Amino acid sequence: MTQIAISVQNVTKTFNSGDRHFTALNAIDLDIKAGEYLAITGKSGSGKSTLLNMITGIDHPTSGTIKIHNTELGNMNEHQLSRWRGENIGIVFQFFQLIPTLTIGENLLLAMEFVGVIPKKERKERVKALLAKVGIESQTDKMPASLSGGEQQRAAIARALVNDPRIIVADEPTGNLDSENTAAVHNLLQSLAASGKTVVVVTHEVHAETRFDRTLTMSDGKILTT
Amino acid sequence: MSMKFIKAIRELQTHPGRTFLAVFALILGIWGAGSVFVSYYILTRDLNQNFQRTLPAHLILESDDFSGLNLREFRQRPEVESAEFRDFSLHRIETYPDVWVPVLLYGVENFESFEIARVFHQEGAIHPPLGSILMERDGKLISDIHTGASPRMRVGSKVVNVPVSGICFDPAQAPATQDHIIYAYTEKDSYAALTGLSVNHRLIIRLKGVSSAKEVKDRADVMIAALGKKGISMTRTSIPLFNEHPHQWQLNTLLFVIGSVGFLAFLMGAVLVSQLMQSIMAGQIRQIGIMKSLGATPFHVFQIYTFMLLIMGLTASLVAVPASVITGVQFSRFVAKILNFDILSVVPVYIYLLLVMAGLLLPLVLSFPLLIRGTKTSVLKAVRDYGISAGISGLNGKFQKITQFPWLTGSFILAVRNSARNSRRLAATIITMSLGVAIFSTGFNVRQSLWNLLTDLENELRYDVQVVLGEKITQEAAMLPFENLVNVKTVQAWSGGSGVIQSDVMATNTTAGIVALPYNTDLLKPRIINGRWLQKSDETEVVLNQQAWQLYNFPEPGADIELTVGDSSAVVRVVGIVEQFDKAKVFMDRAKYDAAFNPAHLVNTLTFAAQNDDYEQVITLKKEIEKAILTSDLDVLYVMTNAGRVRVIYAHLNIILSTILILSFLVLLVSAVGMASTTTINIGERTREIGVMRAIGATPQKIYSLFTNEGMIVSVSSIILGLILAYPLSQAASVFFGRLMLGEQAILRYAFSPWGFGITLMITLLFGWMASRLPAVSAVTKISTREALAYG
Repeated sequence: MTQIAISVQNVTKTFNSGDRHFTALNAIDLDIKAGEYLAITGKSGSGKSTLLNMITGIDHPTSGTIKIHNTELGNMNEHQLSRWRGENIGIVFQFFQLIPTLTIGENLLLAMEFVGVIPKKERKERVKALLAKVGIESQTDKMPASLSGGEQQRAAIARALVNDPRIIVADEPTGNLDSENTAAVHNLLQSLAASGKTVVVVTHEVHAETRFDRTLTMSDGKILTT
Repeated sequence: MSMKFIKAIRELQTHPGRTFLAVFALILGIWGAGSVFVSYYILTRDLNQNFQRTLPAHLILESDDFSGLNLREFRQRPEVESAEFRDFSLHRIETYPDVWVPVLLYGVENFESFEIARVFHQEGAIHPPLGSILMERDGKLISDIHTGASPRMRVGSKVVNVPVSGICFDPAQAPATQDHIIYAYTEKDSYAALTGLSVNHRLIIRLKGVSSAKEVKDRADVMIAALGKKGISMTRTSIPLFNEHPHQWQLNTLLFVIGSVGFLAFLMGAVLVSQLMQSIMAGQIRQIGIMKSLGATPFHVFQIYTFMLLIMGLTASLVAVPASVITGVQFSRFVAKILNFDILSVVPVYIYLLLVMAGLLLPLVLSFPLLIRGTKTSVLKAVRDYGISAGISGLNGKFQKITQFPWLTGSFILAVRNSARNSRRLAATIITMSLGVAIFSTGFNVRQSLWNLLTDLENELRYDVQVVLGEKITQEAAMLPFENLVNVKTVQAWSGGSGVIQSDVMATNTTAGIVALPYNTDLLKPRIINGRWLQKSDETEVVLNQQAWQLYNFPEPGADIELTVGDSSAVVRVVGIVEQFDKAKVFMDRAKYDAAFNPAHLVNTLTFAAQNDDYEQVITLKKEIEKAILTSDLDVLYVMTNAGRVRVIYAHLNIILSTILILSFLVLLVSAVGMASTTTINIGERTREIGVMRAIGATPQKIYSLFTNEGMIVSVSSIILGLILAYPLSQAASVFFGRLMLGEQAILRYAFSPWGFGITLMITLLFGWMASRLPAVSAVTKISTREALAYG
């Protein structure tokens, strides 16, 4: 039986602003299997990014529980969440979010240094290998600003992989890329899923179902289709 | 090398302007505080050490006849550490052709082995050959007398040429430059030969194991009683200020000034560093979020920014610590030169270490709350951070209403609103700048108060030249040499001497100078602070200056007191207190003085008022007086012009006035740097806005004027607040300096300096303009519209 990697149970998230209340997630239930390549789609404000923040522990639900590989996130404080996230989740952002003052290689090394699961002497080799895997090995010593958008996103994916997490979460990873780079990034993420990692991608793409194992569509804080 | 360390270094390298400002602010803070610390360390030790190494006397006994004293036996007394006859007398020496100043000549027992009141060899002879003198080194600064010279000295009524065989250093004396007096030392036999005076009338004594003036007084009483049994009676007993240099008050004032201003500069530097760190941390929020999403713990984040702060602190320390030591030592040397003492201290290693520690810890301590807040930044907050918001705060809301006047230009309205976007930063900038304005303005106001004091003094002394005689003679004899002088409007003969008001108050120096003058004199008009001036009366009235008033425990006008002059005593009535920058003085009508203490009607002072009192004419009159003295047999102690007297007082105050102004200017400069850094931060945060404004047609000139307007808003606000603050600050400073310089009860009156106001206004506006214009020009010329729009 396939293991459940991510379990979202009856999760509601409400934002309060003065007298106004906005329900971003409305009693969501969702299970994502280990090794699944899943897309979450929907219009702006539908709740997809909020759901992603819940899964990564970046934000906390107003009610309900989230378990990642049977670890309940609600029981962890910010410090524990940081460590857990570093070991278990690789995050890829829409705007790449590489540290602009470090080279591509150093961005990867910093992520390894924070988590400390990869032995020191293996880190440089791992940087080489990961950058080779995403096809930008030659850019190791360059600063992020000197790379194209596609190359930066590949570097960000490599960084998300450095601590060998079981789950990769990507928020609009191709939102800023042309079609050629979009395809390359998808191929990369797909290959990760094929290698056993659980990959969850938030996307605006209309024909997402053709690329992913499963596609969820969200609207007004609810999952409409799976 | 750790990636965290590399990230810290790269952050600093990526924003060199901001890093430079932060390091510069730190340098200013450490340098200001460090210089004060170093000079404090040196000055608090060295003036006292210089004084103590002279082995100063604790007690001075004077008698007409010490012949019954066996000095060797006296020295064996258990309470006596050392004792020596050290006679002195006041004469006059020619410092430049026809310029004469008083010379205090000491007769020394043994130049080779001083055991008390020692002087130190500087050049020439150690032991002056018979007939020659050693001059105290500060005398070189007010004369052209040097080793080998043979200046004329007037001793009593005779003029002799005295060879100067060497220069010595006596750190126990008040500086010649300030008191306009030369100190000279000669061997005892030479002293007797030169002055024609008998020796061994003044016994200076250093006591064992005393720790206060009270203990000295107690032992003095025992000794005087013992000497009395041998038939030796004292004509005068003096207990100098215990273990205190005569000009310790000046040093105390200076230390207070540099201490308080240095502390303020340090505080301002601290505010500046804190603001810069706030800006740096604000720019890092998103990165902190990203790092946390990669697994960074709050401690990792703390480490990175602590590295950053330590690097800045270390860099600042490398510059500021040596600079602090250099300026601290140089300032101490400057003070030492003015107060005539040597710098003996070497700055120890632990001071360097303390300064480096301060340099490293200062940014950490100042930024600690920011660091903690930064490490607590959640990933969610970080990824949602889009830089500075419009910031319509309560303050800005009010500004919105203010800026709705139709006559305000668009860029001015925008400048007002932009100023209030970060109200906390605006408040910090205005407070820092207004403190600078307040201190700078206070510096001018205190200076004005002191100037007013000098002007009052000039108004008080209505005579132009004063001749003080070395002995009392008849009025006719005193006036005779000056009968043919031209340009003399009035000449008055005054009398006086030393007197003691009988009081049960313990005092170490209880003698006051008595000035006996016509009660209705128009040559002296001191400011009356209580009661009235002398008038025609059946009573014997006296007026005290505030130093005498303080010395004798503040007798109220109307009080009857007993005044003793020599062997005579009289009950006199205090009728008024006057303000003077002088030693303790008691004024009384000359007729009443003669009746009580001066039956022979002798005089010792002549006061001349010139017909034409232009400075040049007064100097000419003084020279004519000097010539008349030279051809007479008058024994003259000194001849001084009113202008010369004011100059002497000014010399006492000048160092303090100069220090106040220099330091207050530095404080204003530090606050201006603070403002420049704030503008730089504001511009840095609004780079994208600059791009937008340029994209919609704003010329660089428009953008400069926007930021310049913001700077002017801060400057004008700071000037208004600063000048309001300056009023109580100036009043407090005037009271403080007045008490320190003039005595407990004296008040240096608050004065508003119009010049100071104008200069403060000009400099603050200029600094405000530069502090906003320069960063704006730099930002606009360095970043293109495309880059500005892409920023962030």
